[in-house]
Amino acid sequence: MFIGIDVGGTFTDAVLLDRGMVKATAKVVTRQDLLSSLLEALDSILQGVSPDLIERVVFSTTVITNLIAEKKYDPVGLIIIPGPGLSHAHYRFATQTHIINGAIDYRGREIIPLDLKQVEQAVEELEAAGYNKVAVVGKFSSRNNKHEKEIEKYIKLLHPQWQVELGHTVAGQLNFPRRVVSTMLTCATREKYEFFVRSVFQALEQRGLQAEIYILRADGGTMRLKNSTKAPIETIFSGPAASTLGVQALLPPGETAVVVDIGGTTSDLALLLSGQPLLATRGVCIYNQLTHVRALAVKSVPVGGDTTLSRQQNRIVLLPGRQGPPFCLDGPAPTPTDALRVLGLFHKGDYDKARQAMHMLGAELNLSCTETAVRVVDLVVDTIVQEINEMFKSWEQEPSYRVWEVLQKKKVRPTTVVGVGGGAAGLITQIAARMNCQPVLPPYASVANAIGAAVARPTLRVSLRADTQQGVYTIQEEGFQGKIEDGNFNEEKAIALARTWLQRRAENAGLTSSLGEVEIIRREVFNVVRNWVTCGKIFDIGVQTQRGILHYIGGGGR
Amino acid sequence: MSGKTGLVFFPAFDWAISPTHPEREERLLYTRDTIFEEGVLDLPNIEELAPRLATFHDIARVHFCVPRVQSQVTEAHLIAAGAAMLLGDLIIEGSLRNGFALVRPPGHHAMRVVHGNRGFCNINNEAVLVEYLRRRHGVKRIAIVDSDVHHGDGTQEIFYHDPDVLFISFHQDGRTIYPGTGFTHELGGPLAYARTLNVPLPPGTTDETFLYVVDNLILPVLQDFAPEFIINSAGQDNHYTDPLGSMRFTAQGYAEFTRRLNPHLAVLEGGYAIESALPYVNLAILLALSGHDYSYVREPDYWPGKFKESPERLDQVKRMVDNLLGIWQNRDKADIEKLFGTGKFYQRKKNIYYDTDYIEEEQFEKVRMCPYCPGYIIIESRANRGYGSPNRVFAISVPFQACSCCQAEAADAYEKAKKEGRFDYVYLQDKTTDTYMSYERNKNQEWCSEGPRPEV
Repeated sequence: MFIGIDVGGTFTDAVLLDRGMVKATAKVVTRQDLLSSLLEALDSILQGVSPDLIERVVFSTTVITNLIAEKKYDPVGLIIIPGPGLSHAHYRFATQTHIINGAIDYRGREIIPLDLKQVEQAVEELEAAGYNKVAVVGKFSSRNNKHEKEIEKYIKLLHPQWQVELGHTVAGQLNFPRRVVSTMLTCATREKYEFFVRSVFQALEQRGLQAEIYILRADGGTMRLKNSTKAPIETIFSGPAASTLGVQALLPPGETAVVVDIGGTTSDLALLLSGQPLLATRGVCIYNQLTHVRALAVKSVPVGGDTTLSRQQNRIVLLPGRQGPPFCLDGPAPTPTDALRVLGLFHKGDYDKARQAMHMLGAELNLSCTETAVRVVDLVVDTIVQEINEMFKSWEQEPSYRVWEVLQKKKVRPTTVVGVGGGAAGLITQIAARMNCQPVLPPYASVANAIGAAVARPTLRVSLRADTQQGVYTIQEEGFQGKIEDGNFNEEKAIALARTWLQRRAENAGLTSSLGEVEIIRREVFNVVRNWVTCGKIFDIGVQTQRGILHYIGGGGR
Repeated sequence: MSGKTGLVFFPAFDWAISPTHPEREERLLYTRDTIFEEGVLDLPNIEELAPRLATFHDIARVHFCVPRVQSQVTEAHLIAAGAAMLLGDLIIEGSLRNGFALVRPPGHHAMRVVHGNRGFCNINNEAVLVEYLRRRHGVKRIAIVDSDVHHGDGTQEIFYHDPDVLFISFHQDGRTIYPGTGFTHELGGPLAYARTLNVPLPPGTTDETFLYVVDNLILPVLQDFAPEFIINSAGQDNHYTDPLGSMRFTAQGYAEFTRRLNPHLAVLEGGYAIESALPYVNLAILLALSGHDYSYVREPDYWPGKFKESPERLDQVKRMVDNLLGIWQNRDKADIEKLFGTGKFYQRKKNIYYDTDYIEEEQFEKVRMCPYCPGYIIIESRANRGYGSPNRVFAISVPFQACSCCQAEAADAYEKAKKEGRFDYVYLQDKTTDTYMSYERNKNQEWCSEGPRPEV
């Protein structure tokens, strides 16, 4: 049996699954003391179930997101090696930052040696300012980590107890400023995250659970909780990933659908394309800082059930933000929920107050209460539908760097609109009608996030970049760089090497059993030609284990 | 008006002329690595856009492809030209301030008649853009400044008789480099005199002289001409490391040029120092276009003051600049009849060599000396591929500003050539109605392109 637990800011949701059947669900308030909320949720779903029957527990959490949002972490000093390129004025990060001379180029060649004198001075100044956490990041460090390692060696010699985080181990993708931020946040949150992980282990131990414990990443994959301390920031924003995977599990396989999660103040949109959730092409933005964290493509629209409505001249408009609950629930101003109440699409709250709210909006426009309510619902539906269309459009407009990619781009439109969240029931039918789609309100929609966590597959990927002219290769995810000894290194060998590394990563993560098929997600070969002679090849190979979910949810009781 | 710089980056990682040809998959690989690693695509005033495809019709508006557009262009060509068109649309509409089509394959050696690939080019991306901007947006006056080390002979040829397109090319002296043209006496046809200006620079010219030409010739001429749209045909092979050129421009020089020219759109042309120049020059140009500080961009083996200009070379260029500026300033006083002769048609013979495809073409070009418009153009072309019998082509182009008389005469000439049986292929390009006809004698078949289908 599988357990999925979503530790949200307000509620902690939990489900117990048995081969695609939902056996129990729980929703408890998330308290300051995380352990007690966890235990309460666990106890609720485990009633009458022996702990040894549990094979797997998966968490999704906003713990790290909140840490970063509230800036509750220790200061991190920054040592960066940007070299030539963008003006160094761009590198004003909100912490003590030292810029060191030195440069590596795009093929990993050292073009300016590291200035160790400057490193020495930087470390002295950081020490004087009381720092003991340092992020060290160089431009193109994922192609050659020599400079980062030299600096680490120097710091560790003087201050063995300092926490030093190196850019190439945190993120292998190109984009130096994002690597700086990702490395800084990793350095900042590691200690707190390790504390969270310990409390989770403690809670599960107290209930005698021997199962494998995983945590959900923002890209919808899972990793072993005990390995996750390597990359704490990958767990942030796993909430939207959880609910999208949950919907995926609740729909028939292979569907192209929009997931609309209508909350109080915002609605989150996500896409399932032929049954697979859409990944954002670049890393996510965390509190105005661009990072390398991969995540599902989720768009937040500032419209929800509690959005304030107002009238401007002869138009009804939505004001961003939330002033309070709906008018029919004793709130201060009319909201879309009031309109739904008048139309009989929402059943809580005071009917007369809802009518009164509509009257406040519509009287001046000579509209009856019902007419006003219809107009409000139209407005909300329009806004959301427009955002959905934009999302499809921007997905279609993703840049492509190859001819075949440009040619195979197709217009895809959903067949299904899936509603989850509090405001979904009243609105989803109309959103679907406007888009010519089937509306779906899945069962267990209120705990879709916990279901998503429970069924998420562990995924691993390996990105190999080999340059035979220079005789070197790197494994992005491991920050590893090695030599190519084989004189006849070719594409097949490059793929085989990438697979070997994936296997090794899987063994380290204890994941060999449930890996499934390995797919090649990228295979690029470039001839390196100098003076009309091919003198080497560059291979860019990506392999990953199957993405997605382990089970679809069938019918079945609680 | 948006302050954004649009970038279409299309490295065509799956397209090459041949595996070891300079125009191959690897060409923009290190540029990609650099712009990605620098994080410039995250800068708030730079917007990356997905390319779109030009249509066959867009190509037929400019070129006479033999036998048909489909046989001369690959999808990569349509994407490169389409990228320039997309950016053109957004700049005219005001949603972008300027743009950079960082695309492959290049196009500035492609002439009006296309029998094959010349100088790595089949389709002239800038020319396709110009005709599109005029058709779609009614833009009239356009300037193209070509900064490639090679003379932009294709672009020059296409607009040689067009008084509304100013074409300025500076490049390494044609006596020392492909395609061997681009001398100061090539100044445009009788109805577009001095709308073509060529600045052949001696090998070894450095940034200093290059920027002298910009400040003392290009910018004043542009100011007089007052174009509605400026295109930079941005070849990067004037760089000191380029294997095909012998010049000494640097990334800083290119950026400075871009800042001063302030073009609406830069379209990538040549540049084959794929490791030592392209990543740096492309980054510098992108930063200059978007108004960012580019002073930190530096090639690994460069230090300020590395190249010193020789005083003789600078003097030589100064004299040339003065001479050209004089021609420009007196363009309306020039005695056209004395320069070009009289008669109903102005005519000239040309030999064109396709270096990539080994085609030798002979052309006979006639321009109707119309008192009311720039006149229609007739081209008789004979292309020898070294095997089989040569292709004989008759092509008529009616400019978008044509008078109704010229339009009617051109239509008659097309019908006559079809009946005559002397030509394998007969074409009529009528830009006033955006209609393009072609006739193939062997099949006795005619095709007509009346415009792309509206987008669904």
